Amino acid sequence: MASSSSSGLTFKLHPLVIVNISDHYTRIKSQSQPPPTSSAANDAVSSPPPPRVFGCVIGIQRGRTVEIFNSFELLYDVSTHSLDRAFLEKKQELYKKVFPHFYVLGWYSTGSDAQESDMQIHKALMDINESPVYLLLNPSINHAQKDLPVTIYESELHVIDGIPQLIFVRSSYTIETVEAERISVDHVAHLKPSDGGSAATQLAAHLTGIHSAIKMLNSRIRVLHHYLLAVQKGDLPCENSLLRQVSSLLRRLPTIESDKFQDDFLMEYNDTLLITYLAMFTNCSSTMNELVDKFNTAYDRHSRRGGRAAFI
Amino acid sequence: MNLNMNSMESLVAQIQGLSGSIADVNQLHSLLKQSEDLFHSELARLAPLLTELDPSIHSLGYLYILEACTSAPISKEQANELVLSVARFINLCAAEQIRLAPDKFISVCKRFKDQVMLLEDPMRGVAPMLTALRKLQLSSEHLTTLHPDFLLLCLLGKCYKTGLSILEDDIFEVDQPRDFFLYCYYGGMICIGQKKFSKALELLHNVVTAPMSILNSIAVEAYKKYILVSLIHLGQFSISFPKYTSSVAQRNLKNFSQPYLDLVNSYGTGKISELETCVLANNEKFEFDKNLGLVKQVVSSMYKRNIQRLTQTYLTLSLQDIANTVQLHSAKEAEMHVLQMIQDGEIYATINQKDGMVRFLEDPEQYKSCEMIERIDSSIQRIMMLSRKLTDMDELLSCDPLYLAKAGRERQRFDFDDFDTVPSKFTI
Repeated sequence: MASSSSSGLTFKLHPLVIVNISDHYTRIKSQSQPPPTSSAANDAVSSPPPPRVFGCVIGIQRGRTVEIFNSFELLYDVSTHSLDRAFLEKKQELYKKVFPHFYVLGWYSTGSDAQESDMQIHKALMDINESPVYLLLNPSINHAQKDLPVTIYESELHVIDGIPQLIFVRSSYTIETVEAERISVDHVAHLKPSDGGSAATQLAAHLTGIHSAIKMLNSRIRVLHHYLLAVQKGDLPCENSLLRQVSSLLRRLPTIESDKFQDDFLMEYNDTLLITYLAMFTNCSSTMNELVDKFNTAYDRHSRRGGRAAFI
Repeated sequence: MNLNMNSMESLVAQIQGLSGSIADVNQLHSLLKQSEDLFHSELARLAPLLTELDPSIHSLGYLYILEACTSAPISKEQANELVLSVARFINLCAAEQIRLAPDKFISVCKRFKDQVMLLEDPMRGVAPMLTALRKLQLSSEHLTTLHPDFLLLCLLGKCYKTGLSILEDDIFEVDQPRDFFLYCYYGGMICIGQKKFSKALELLHNVVTAPMSILNSIAVEAYKKYILVSLIHLGQFSISFPKYTSSVAQRNLKNFSQPYLDLVNSYGTGKISELETCVLANNEKFEFDKNLGLVKQVVSSMYKRNIQRLTQTYLTLSLQDIANTVQLHSAKEAEMHVLQMIQDGEIYATINQKDGMVRFLEDPEQYKSCEMIERIDSSIQRIMMLSRKLTDMDELLSCDPLYLAKAGRERQRFDFDDFDTVPSKFTI
């Protein structure tokens, strides 16, 4: 079901679509939280499978490029295993008024893999668009995965066991952003640090970014180092072009062995430490001040009368 | 008689038997508490019983018997014996067991200290008291009643360095306020003896500003020394008290230290002659307070202050000029003073002996070295810990009913944003 597409279409996906789909999914999931079970016997049973959400994607197709701009939600009718047609058409009309150039390009759903029943929906949409796309978002969070959990499927007619059948084939896509989208995605990405730490300050976020960048650099250089060691030992064949690239990369890395660097580095390090120390001092003094005030109010018999100062 | 003898024997047997595990020791403790009268009635027979017990294993029982032994009046011949046996006990006893009966232990140690002072050999008591102190403490932040006694012995025996080791610990828990006052006062005196004036200043400051509901003489004496040490170390003294000083101290301390405040005023003029006249005028009072040595140090510190002030005006100066400005008698004396100051790190300068010129330099510390990083790092760690403790104390105090009652009373009748009925009295 998943071989790569041969249709030659290039897909461009806008982040708005991804945000929309994930928002839809999160909303439905949180609204359908099952009540907490009281019996212990039920604990062995896993939580109900996550609900699937459905919707339509719209965009522009110019020649061989399919650009998916936006999406809207649809209701899935379980009885007829199809999407709500009337609603779709009404929505389509509304969107046409605002974005005259956008067409319905396909549909989306959530899940880990494309299923057989999806083909029905796909076929149903074929009368709006001869070759709709199927966008699948995998809502399970996998921290090890570096790519987006979004796959785009096309349908192709393949002959299997003598019967021509429509199957889903995977297509590659790229992310395309308009300026406004880039700013908003940036903003959302920096709202919460990736490891969920409590540091909500800009400084901490900035430093975390630098830290992860340096960690990445370090791991990549370590890989290179391994490779070079293997080449030296003779386990791997020596490729001169690769060695040239490595050497040019290393020359670009900052030199940190010189005395002058040590000097400046230590001075700046000391300065930062001193500022931190000063900040802690101020913090401590302020706590101490409050403590002393409270103590004086509570225990000093002849503390100043007169109550609080007037409200500013 | 016989009955008592038998019960004593049985008690000794029980002590020997029940000193194994913690549960047994607790049982023994309650047993011993009940038999206290028995101990006090059988004083004569107690001494031989001690030989049957091992202080390191049967510490609790040994302690009870020892305490009863020492409660009787001791003659001078017996004092030596007693001192030896108590010292031995302190060295050998088990800390967990004696912590079950802290007041007995404290009374034994106090009597020990009295005997040592009676024998006029305070140095003998220093090491055992240190051991006793460490065993009684629950943690190094805990101030016990033995601390001031230990410091007193150090002072009398002139073993200041041993005393200093105790003073390094930060104190967070105090048993009795009187202990704290005495501890800080004696500690301040020890630091003065070791010329660690900043630590002495800190300790004496603590005595002066500690919370007190009525004035006590320790604070009065400490205030006098505080003024003098402040003049020696800082070169100035501010007569306003910090706001955490108790109001009792704020109102009354100055009344007892008038000659010292006069000294402050004459020090402020910067002239040696004025200072010396003031000292002469109040000589008897200083001598009565036994502060004459400190006062002399104040006078010599005046020269230092003046030389330090010169560094802010001049880059180079001849020794003769220094002697004239600071009112020293000769260039030689000026050279000695400057040399001493350079050695103590109070001034950065080089003396050119050929032409008798002194060049004042900047502080050579660049704050670029790794050692400086380590120092700052450890300071940051300490202050983080302190900050945590402060926040905890703050929260604790916020929940204190005494505080809440008073804070409630002082609230304004109406808050700005709610004009509904705000309770004007907050009663618990």
